[in-house]
Amino acid sequence: MAVIDDLTTVFEEVFDQKNLTVTNETTSNDIDGWDSMSHVTMLMAVEDHFGIEFKPYEIANLVNVGALVSLIEKKLAEKG
Amino acid sequence: MMAKNIGYMCTGMQCEMGRATKVAMRLINPDLSRVDYTFKDLDRESNKFANVLKELGVHKQDKVFVFLPKQVEVFFAFLGALKYEAIAGVLFSNFGKEAVFDRLLDSGAKILVTKQSFYDRISEILPNLPALEKIILTDVETNQDEKVLSYAALTSKASNDFMVQDVDPETPSVLHYTSGSTGRPKGVLHIHGGIAHQIDTMDEAFQVEEDDIYWCTADQAWVTGVSYGITGPWAKGITQVHFTGKFDAVDWFEILKREEVTIWYSAPTALRMLIQDEARIIGKYDLPKLKRVYSVGEPLNPEILFWVRKVMHKEIYDTWFQTETGGVMICNRPGLEIKPGSMGKPLSGIEAITAGEKDEILGPEQIGSLRVRRGWSSMFRTYLNMEDVYREKFHGDYYDTGDLAKVDSDGYFWFLGRNDDVINTSGHLVGPFEVESVLLAMDEIVDVAVIGAPDPMLWEKIVAFVKLKEGLTWSKSLEVKCRIAVSRQVSPVAVPSEFVVIDKIPKNRSGKIMRRVLKAQYLGKDVGDISTMED
Repeated sequence: MAVIDDLTTVFEEVFDQKNLTVTNETTSNDIDGWDSMSHVTMLMAVEDHFGIEFKPYEIANLVNVGALVSLIEKKLAEKG
Repeated sequence: MMAKNIGYMCTGMQCEMGRATKVAMRLINPDLSRVDYTFKDLDRESNKFANVLKELGVHKQDKVFVFLPKQVEVFFAFLGALKYEAIAGVLFSNFGKEAVFDRLLDSGAKILVTKQSFYDRISEILPNLPALEKIILTDVETNQDEKVLSYAALTSKASNDFMVQDVDPETPSVLHYTSGSTGRPKGVLHIHGGIAHQIDTMDEAFQVEEDDIYWCTADQAWVTGVSYGITGPWAKGITQVHFTGKFDAVDWFEILKREEVTIWYSAPTALRMLIQDEARIIGKYDLPKLKRVYSVGEPLNPEILFWVRKVMHKEIYDTWFQTETGGVMICNRPGLEIKPGSMGKPLSGIEAITAGEKDEILGPEQIGSLRVRRGWSSMFRTYLNMEDVYREKFHGDYYDTGDLAKVDSDGYFWFLGRNDDVINTSGHLVGPFEVESVLLAMDEIVDVAVIGAPDPMLWEKIVAFVKLKEGLTWSKSLEVKCRIAVSRQVSPVAVPSEFVVIDKIPKNRSGKIMRRVLKAQYLGKDVGDISTMED
């Protein structure tokens, strides 16, 4: 399963929405309920789902979902 | 004596006063594109919604709720409901299903205006809301069935004209929900006559003028977003900016500059977030049109005040009020020397005091309960279905705000905290009970207590103390599960920032959680008298 598909599942769980369409271009403006408060929970859920950990500087300037996907893929590659 | 209907004062009356073609609302989209709505547009669209309510058989004083993110229908439906003399309310768009359920059930709401994705989110609670007759979706073109209807289809057939009647000033108008220390949120009921105080404060506190461009960043689900993001400014005929996007320092400053905002009303948490992101804005935005900044929701730290002065080269005025007061009671304002950290002085006609435990009025520098003498027009008229709790809030002629404060020898008020367990996190009031109920329902948790603790960004953060089921250990997966549960059931703003696993929740012999003990322990302070604690 592609990272973005897994990520969509996590988003649906965190933001309590069914059948979300998530693409690399998706930003917080495109998803109801994605604000600074739910962002923290979302990142923790992503870490837990993929078994990875983000460093604060890595997540400070994620511009869209594509940037998050790239970061997750990098972390998974490092994990081996 | 009869009074003008708030919905009419914000729309039709403005047209009759010569402002029909004046921009009432400049709606800024997340991509910063904009759409203007004149007072005539507001009048027509709110008339249409009032006619929709009539067509649907809604009665005066039925409750009509809007559950939407910031979008134009929030304003049209809200004003239309007021014109119809329904009782209007707005639910925070990030509320989880439990929070929505509590409010719709308690209010007996008859009409809910929402959108498809929100409807899907709350669909499982709807069968348990027997009073809810119609759901109007803003993003479907046709009626779905007899109960789920299309906003577009309904309003396209509705007349542009609606005759708004004068009202008894005591006619209920707006219903806000606010969190308490215990139990479910309370429905705070306001009246049409309350607009008088909001107008007075637009004059005395905000000192608005005809050509001002005014931006209040509050969400319409909160009292600030209604009293000072809908009704107060429009009843004065002032142009308002509303931004439908999320917080972003550059976007916000771009809006302040491009839209030539003259009066900006925001909150300390938002300003702290700007400070954190100051590298992106400092020196890049001249704001020559901006006259003043105002703050509400949490105490305005002197650090923020000095930052606004240094970076924005403006003065910032703290304002204090509550859902129950309906309008600003105490504030700093032009013409009053500011003492950094103080919330200023009461406005004209407002008598505020600090009181001791025996209801005695305290002198300068003595810490006591902040109370306001009843009689101002925007005072709430009851807690819906909780008249006894409402009455308990009054001590003689004084409304007890639940805040602790002191007055200095110059008559300035200084906020010192709450004298109950309500948590003020980033300007949102959260009741511990709401969070505890969700966590307690989880299989892994056998007991829980929630407190607020000081936080440099949020003012207060939510800390949850949990006792786990025997044999279980805390894990990241469990924390994520807890966070998602609170977020989905209550709201992302109610999610604890921190979870602390403990062996036993301190309670008194009646079984009441001793939050002050937990708080003292958490902060490393003396726990005080624990003689009433159970063994």
